[in-house]
Amino acid sequence: MSSEPIERRVSYFGDRLRAIRCNICGKEYFEVRDYCGKCGRKSYGKMDNIDLFYDKGKLEFCTLIDEPTNKFNKLGRYVFGIVSFHNGKIRVPGRITDQILKNDTFDPAKLEGREVTPRFRRRYTVEKNEVIPTISLAFTLADEYYPHQEYKIIQPTKDYELPGIIGYGIYSSRFRIKEGGIERAVPYIDEDAVTAAVEAGKHALIHAGLDSSLVGKVYVGSESNPYAVKPIASKVAQVLQLGEQEDGLQSIDAIDTEFACKAATSMFKDACAIVSYPRSNINYAMVIGADNSQAAPRGCPGGELDAFVGYGGAAYIFGKKDVIAEIENWYSCTSDTPDFWRRDGEQYPMHGGRYTGDPAYHKHIRKAANKMMETSNMKPSDFAYFVPHQPNPTFPTRIAKELGFKEEQYMPAIQMTKIGNTYSGAALIGLAAILDIAKPNEHILVTSYGSGAGSDAYILRTTNQILDKRKHQKINTKTLTENPHIEYIDYTTYRRLKQGM
Amino acid sequence: MQNRPVIVAVGRTKFGEHYDKKPEKLIEEAWLAASNECNLERKNLETCYISDCFLPITNKLGLEEGFLSELTELHVPMEATRSFSSALKTACHAIQAGVYSTALVGGIEKMTDRLDKIRDNLMSLDDPWSYYAGGTTEANHELMLRAYIKKYNIEGEDLEKLYNALAQVAVKNHANGAKNPYAQFQRKISLESVLSSRKAANKALGLYDYAPVTDGATALILTNEKVAKTLDVTPVYICGYNSATDYLGYSARAELSHFAAAQIAAKKAFKNSGIDLWDINLWQVNDQSTMMELVSLEDLGYCLPGTAWKSIVESYPNDKGCYEIDGRELYVNMDGGLKADGNPIGATGGAQIYEIFRQLTGKADQRQVAIDGVTPKYGGALEFEGFGTKAYVNILGRD
Repeated sequence: MSSEPIERRVSYFGDRLRAIRCNICGKEYFEVRDYCGKCGRKSYGKMDNIDLFYDKGKLEFCTLIDEPTNKFNKLGRYVFGIVSFHNGKIRVPGRITDQILKNDTFDPAKLEGREVTPRFRRRYTVEKNEVIPTISLAFTLADEYYPHQEYKIIQPTKDYELPGIIGYGIYSSRFRIKEGGIERAVPYIDEDAVTAAVEAGKHALIHAGLDSSLVGKVYVGSESNPYAVKPIASKVAQVLQLGEQEDGLQSIDAIDTEFACKAATSMFKDACAIVSYPRSNINYAMVIGADNSQAAPRGCPGGELDAFVGYGGAAYIFGKKDVIAEIENWYSCTSDTPDFWRRDGEQYPMHGGRYTGDPAYHKHIRKAANKMMETSNMKPSDFAYFVPHQPNPTFPTRIAKELGFKEEQYMPAIQMTKIGNTYSGAALIGLAAILDIAKPNEHILVTSYGSGAGSDAYILRTTNQILDKRKHQKINTKTLTENPHIEYIDYTTYRRLKQGM
Repeated sequence: MQNRPVIVAVGRTKFGEHYDKKPEKLIEEAWLAASNECNLERKNLETCYISDCFLPITNKLGLEEGFLSELTELHVPMEATRSFSSALKTACHAIQAGVYSTALVGGIEKMTDRLDKIRDNLMSLDDPWSYYAGGTTEANHELMLRAYIKKYNIEGEDLEKLYNALAQVAVKNHANGAKNPYAQFQRKISLESVLSSRKAANKALGLYDYAPVTDGATALILTNEKVAKTLDVTPVYICGYNSATDYLGYSARAELSHFAAAQIAAKKAFKNSGIDLWDINLWQVNDQSTMMELVSLEDLGYCLPGTAWKSIVESYPNDKGCYEIDGRELYVNMDGGLKADGNPIGATGGAQIYEIFRQLTGKADQRQVAIDGVTPKYGGALEFEGFGTKAYVNILGRD
């Protein structure tokens, strides 16, 4: 049994890579201390908090670990080393993650000197009833799958009448399984819904150029939270330092939502409402949808889903300044349709076979999309793009055609065939793919679907600022899905990685 | 030195895997061996200083007052520390201060009692952030070697020589261990087996570069000079001792290719003993890995930084088992070192002192060293806690 206070302290420093700088001599220390070893007592109270969370480091020295300590056994072989930041002023130990090492010659010199970026990951294996430890002392090579993105706060210049998206970020993993004509993202063994939510939120803050302390509410929608009780949103708020920090707390309302795959899209309107309500004192709200989509192994009950599930998520920040896409209208519908469910305590979801098609997915999306166009007085040709929920390759194209959309309107949004069904993240990733390419002043219709069942439809209109903000983004849907560093794995490895540490 | 502390007797168990023995049995064995040697009874002891690393977790023995009492129904004050040198240092302070005149200093470790968890325990104690990041004890040695190679720009043929030098350290220590009846490994190994174990591990350091997991106990009896004179023994004096600390986290240290703590402790110990570097030709160093023995030759001052591997390569093989540095002989780890003798953490430093004591009193049997035909006059021991987090240097001498 690990100690909860120790886990909490290690996470508090390790998740964000909190460090400190003496403002007398400039010496930097990893972890937080009250005074500088060099300057002594006179530096007391003169230590500035810094962190390395958004920084780029350099792998100074490394070695191969093939016989890890017990808690790292599930990682197998990995590279471990010393990472320096700020030109060597500060050094931390670190594990290179996202690598499946073959049993061949390892040459540390090939990795040493290369730039790395911190990744927020699970720390190590613990018992099933224990707190899941996390850490950002996991690194990926900056010239590989995830390039380093600078986090630069930009003062907003323009107010909008309608609330809308001011920034977004997508996150997925480096590993893919390629089967049945589609590719699906597979998390590395140290990833889960929590780590994807944090990473997506980090990318969204970078894209928006927003000071994280201004975010007043965060919603995280997921159906694969590794905890039955304990929010993902609290981890996101603390690691991303959302809201003002006071006495070790973040001044923010953080909440997890659940409605199968529409847990996140449902909150778009709530985020818009809260940033518009004059008494809320909230100018920015973040909505994240992320899943390590669960499926029973092939051949077991519920194993049909195993052919489609993926991994990843996206985060959206809503506000009324420097908006890139205004939310013009919305509509939602709901019915008690048990087409897909997971009982408490069960590891994998079940679904209702053919029942998941017509009376569930199609019926709800059809209604939501049609009603949305009807109340807005718009028709399919008024939209540049249509983003449907995408649980498999056939449903979204079938409904899009039926609703009267052309291939060029919906195909760019279909990311399911590249990342897999990311459950709560699916519609959000589809929308991100559109925002990556949309021109100013285009209309987008988003229609999500959540089993159980319901659908949310939104009409978005892009603004001129979508082009400016695109420049801050080195990681987008295209770079994550069409990347030379993607690694393809077999079914056995896929199941092992997906199971996690 | 006022009230100069004197070692009057030493004792130890065989190092190895003592599955069947309780930790208490091991320390009793070591203590009885030492007490037999100087003919002291348990009632003559005024205090015990015991070092152990894991016993407080395993069975709380380390914190239990007076476990030796069962032998004599006597209770004495007892202090527990993590390394033998630390226990010895505290005992020296007490002798020098005149608080006690006769003390037992003991070290014990029963690592096989928690074999499944030992590496996790060691790592989380020694360098917690590295542990949280996935590090292992071995990884730190490898990283230090990488840092050393980079700092001194060692490449090509020189790099091969450096790797060979490290292998030679292991071969030498095993050859010495073969002459030590108490050693965990009493067999010689070949250079080829060291190199092939590295190849199998796909790393610069392999199985034969690291000290093993060991059970064992060591003990010595420390008195002041007045008491020592009343005993029929050859006294060995503690001529100087010192220690220094560094950051717990290896990655945070200013110097990654050396142990700054060892450099400082050695410098101060030489100074407070008034003994010069080359007055000592006999050392026990803390070779948790072959890399540690190599850098220790530099940290103690015998080789210039970045050159120890050359001296090792050039002095190997010779039939004396010593390093030849600038034409002078340096005998290191004559008992086999941590590599072959074993590394029962809390007791390890005691084995170092045991060997120096045996050498200085001319009772090291087949391992006996002679400097210019004479039994050595001084010997030194360098012990670490953690991965160079704390370094202790003890300098011993005879009349």
